Amino acid sequence: MKVSLGWLREFVPYEGTVEALADRLTMLGLEVDAITQPFAAIEAVLVGHVVACERHPQADKLSLCRVDVGSEVLDIVCGAPNVALGQKVAVAPIGAVLPGGLEIKKAKIRGAASQGMICSERELALSEDHSGIMVLDPARKPGSKLLEALGLETAVLDVDLTPNRADCLSHLGVAREVAMAFGLPLSLPKFGLTESGVDCREAVRIEIADGKLCPLYQARLIRGVTVGQSPAWMRYRLLAVGQRPISNVVDATNYVMFELGQPLHAFDADKMKSGVVRVAPAPEGLVLTTLDGQARKLTASDLVIWDGEEPVALAGVMGGAGTEMDAGSVNVLLECAVFNPGTIRKTAKRLALPSEAAHRMERGLDQIGAKFAVDRAATLIAELSGGRVAPGVALAEPRPFALRTLRFRPGYAQDVLGMPLEREFCAATLKGLGCGLKGESGREWSVVAPSWRLDFEREIDLVEEVGRVYGIDKIPTALPQVTRDLTVVKAALNFELVSDIKHWARGAGLRECINYSFVGERDLELLSEGAGRIKVANPLSEEQNVLRTVLAPGLLQNLRTNVSQGLPDVHLFELAKTFHAAPGSETGAREVTTLALLVHGARFAVPYPWAREDADYSDLKGLVEDLVRRFSLPPAAFALEEDHAWLTPCVAVSLGGRPFGRMGRVKPAVAGEYKARKDVWLAELDLELLAELSAGRVPAFRDLPKFPPVRRDLTLVAGPGVQAAMVPAAVAAMGEKLLEDVSLIDVYAQDGQEERNLTFRLTYRHAQKTLTDKEVDKVHGAIATRLLAALPVKLQ
Amino acid sequence: MAPDAAVLISEITSLVPECEASLGQASSLSEIEAVRVAYLGRKGRLAQAMSGLAGLDPAARPEAGRVANEVKSRLTEVLDARQAELAKAGESGAFARFDPTLPGRAPWPGSLHPVTLVMEEICAIFKGLGFDIVTGPEVETDWHNFEALNIPPDHPARDMQDTFYVSGQVVLRTHTSPMQVRTMLAKKPPLAVVAPGKVYRRDSDLTHTPMFHQIEGLLVDEKTSMAELRGVLTAACRQLFGPETNIRFRPSFFPFTEPSAEVDISCSLCQGRGAVDGTPCRVCKQSGWIEILGCGMVDPNVYGFVGIDPERYRGWAFGLGVERVAMLKYGIGDLRMFFENDARFLGQFA
Repeated sequence: MKVSLGWLREFVPYEGTVEALADRLTMLGLEVDAITQPFAAIEAVLVGHVVACERHPQADKLSLCRVDVGSEVLDIVCGAPNVALGQKVAVAPIGAVLPGGLEIKKAKIRGAASQGMICSERELALSEDHSGIMVLDPARKPGSKLLEALGLETAVLDVDLTPNRADCLSHLGVAREVAMAFGLPLSLPKFGLTESGVDCREAVRIEIADGKLCPLYQARLIRGVTVGQSPAWMRYRLLAVGQRPISNVVDATNYVMFELGQPLHAFDADKMKSGVVRVAPAPEGLVLTTLDGQARKLTASDLVIWDGEEPVALAGVMGGAGTEMDAGSVNVLLECAVFNPGTIRKTAKRLALPSEAAHRMERGLDQIGAKFAVDRAATLIAELSGGRVAPGVALAEPRPFALRTLRFRPGYAQDVLGMPLEREFCAATLKGLGCGLKGESGREWSVVAPSWRLDFEREIDLVEEVGRVYGIDKIPTALPQVTRDLTVVKAALNFELVSDIKHWARGAGLRECINYSFVGERDLELLSEGAGRIKVANPLSEEQNVLRTVLAPGLLQNLRTNVSQGLPDVHLFELAKTFHAAPGSETGAREVTTLALLVHGARFAVPYPWAREDADYSDLKGLVEDLVRRFSLPPAAFALEEDHAWLTPCVAVSLGGRPFGRMGRVKPAVAGEYKARKDVWLAELDLELLAELSAGRVPAFRDLPKFPPVRRDLTLVAGPGVQAAMVPAAVAAMGEKLLEDVSLIDVYAQDGQEERNLTFRLTYRHAQKTLTDKEVDKVHGAIATRLLAALPVKLQ
Repeated sequence: MAPDAAVLISEITSLVPECEASLGQASSLSEIEAVRVAYLGRKGRLAQAMSGLAGLDPAARPEAGRVANEVKSRLTEVLDARQAELAKAGESGAFARFDPTLPGRAPWPGSLHPVTLVMEEICAIFKGLGFDIVTGPEVETDWHNFEALNIPPDHPARDMQDTFYVSGQVVLRTHTSPMQVRTMLAKKPPLAVVAPGKVYRRDSDLTHTPMFHQIEGLLVDEKTSMAELRGVLTAACRQLFGPETNIRFRPSFFPFTEPSAEVDISCSLCQGRGAVDGTPCRVCKQSGWIEILGCGMVDPNVYGFVGIDPERYRGWAFGLGVERVAMLKYGIGDLRMFFENDARFLGQFA
């Protein structure tokens, strides 16, 4: 809402600075975003007096003028046909920048020097008129600022209103707040309504199909108008609040809307097919051509105004083209109605027709104030256009406005706000807001809400007003005693665990990334991640039209970002939810908190003292193993998975037989799409499982051994079918009590050979005594023999 | 004839200066070891000389033996001294060329996202005040996200938040406030929780991203008030932005709180003056204040949806944008950087 300071002062005699006003309004909850000068662009323009004016010797259409601008007399070449000696004109001196961006420079025009420009109204953005220069009142003083000479507004407050403050969508509404806040008197606009001719009610009859959709419809007739340009004061005032002037009749309706908050509409009465104005919903599929020339297809939820036969307006949103006021219009049917806010909102939203009128309609209007507004607007139209207001108002009011009565307990207000409140202050505040009060001496007051405060519905609304006017910022501060139920069992995957996992990842040398939860379907196609997607019904773009089922696209995109910045070596992680369709669940989505790790490029961050090597499977697996160790999870198993859509090799990770996730090398064709230079190693792990398995796990302490271990190495020649982990597994299956540990210590494969030499170190220990070589040799020999039988391996 | 004791004694005594001379020539530990063997070894010169003791006149033997023992300990002393001297020289020599400025063998530098850092910092503040941390779904029902928060369909307040829909009754949550509803449905008061998480709005430009992070707070108890809301948020803002921060509460509107307020903190760039060295402050747009969070007393209508008696209980709630706090705290100018994940950006936050 743009509030002109000059306009505001017509209702309330505020004499302070605009900054102090903005401050007070902001602290009252009417946040002032900015204080602007609507005509700042013509600040530099001066009043000039044309003291000489001759034809240019070399150009018929140009005049050579000498213009007195107070401090000096300027030579100006002017091309306007209406420039003449003795005129007072608007002069843009050298250096001025006009609204269109034109900078005035010293110029030579057909050999004659020009030290400025005499401006037309269009050049000053004051109207569309470019037929000639703007000629000012002869009484204006040369050298004075044009802004002052025309009385243009210098301060407009841009107020960011919250949706509950519909009452402040007008200068009168803001004036009420100012009057209350500064203790100033408020005056309503004064006007003298004179009526003549045949009574409006003889020519016009209102019919309302459904009082819920239209509680009040009023119409007035203004006869014999002459449509033309509004006077300057009206145009300048509308321009100041950002409204383009159109014609005297339309400008008057807009003016009253900004003044009182009531939208109005002017029909050309002679274009209406009958004197019956009917308010009824549109039949499905009705087509109405609106003022902007668009043919709109309507639905049954749209409310329409009919002239008895044809639809003539989309109620509260936009008038119809067929009954629009034009230059030849003579008789005006002025509509001033209250419609159902939800209906207006639905229509304006569906047709994407936000307008100043709809904005007010959908927030609710002052139904009692509407009766004042229709008289105010009719008077103004008659004044500006030379018309005559017909006596009477054609009116239908199926739902007269009932003033609301609310209770107010000062004690409750004190409890909610947490401070003592003077009863006198509460009473004065509520009265200042326009409320009627009864029972002020008791504990429970009876408060009648004013018709313009539709947001006063409950006691708490009044408490808020008392707090707001007192100053939310002046309420004392206190600290609560937080009482909590300490027996609560927390969900396993809580914020603290997530935080622990992130801190583990940071310590493990990974950088945390955060990507949008939505990706493009194309991203998932690329990974052939098809099943169970959740689509966004109204995405911003095709790149963000589906919730991610895997985290990979985000991290791959981050890889691309960093590669393109010349930083291809990255170790990244993201911890976020993936989303999977779960029909029948509360939201239809299963959200799985997932951890993704990505390594690409150099194994080590700095080239020295490390050797330059690229990260590979062992780096990624090491991270996964470390995570498993950190969160005391059961031992992880790693199994090759054939034919994975986007990982090769793909390794399935499981914990105690339950799937934990996958890891592997992103297929080069996919990685290439993301500009990868080297192998991309990526893991995705299910943290819901991690949370479940790590919950309540307490390390089981074992006493330290008292007797020394004996170690024996064993090298096996293994064919391609033998995986390293099979050996410890086979040994463990033998259940040899003296064996404490089996660790792989070396892998050797000769180039071109399929067989590998796997060397394991076996650790033996007895709990009660020191083992002798002989005892160990016997056990070790037996294990080796049994291994040869259990696995297709040979001893070296 | 028995050997002359005096000759033997002088021979033994002369071993000390001879040994010292040899050590003077020795420049390494192995050479010292060779000298040690030559003098003190089993077949060394002291042993050889001492083998002459047996042939001495028994009366002369004690004296010669005493001298031999003295020489032995003296030899040991000089050998050890020289050895220590050489070892010390060797040590300092080796480290003279030691370069302590060579890079360390560091693991990859890990980092946490600034959103995580701020979220954890804020949650830690509230945890310290006794609040629980709760989380909930990001795909949310219209009922939890809007209706139970007193935002009926076709209410202008829905315009404040442009919504992504999954289906007619399911949305991507537009704020963390549905966690108020979920918390109150799940537990009876007294309640004190904060709920951090991702939220989504259908808006994308220089100052809006379609996904961002919020932290919601809720306290419901029999006796709490706007004064306590002010006390807690004032304390939290000062912990977050520094003890000198000025804080103001401005009336505002949220459908699910009443009275509602927005909290501004004094601009950290211009110290609330609105300008820096005469140029208008770009952070607070000259107002001297920066909007940091929204809050208010839980609206009685919300209690109706979750079955809490509004005459018995009162409560308050707040919601704050994490990126906004991070931008102010770290001086980040461009919101979109948060989701580009450029390592040069991420690397600035350990």
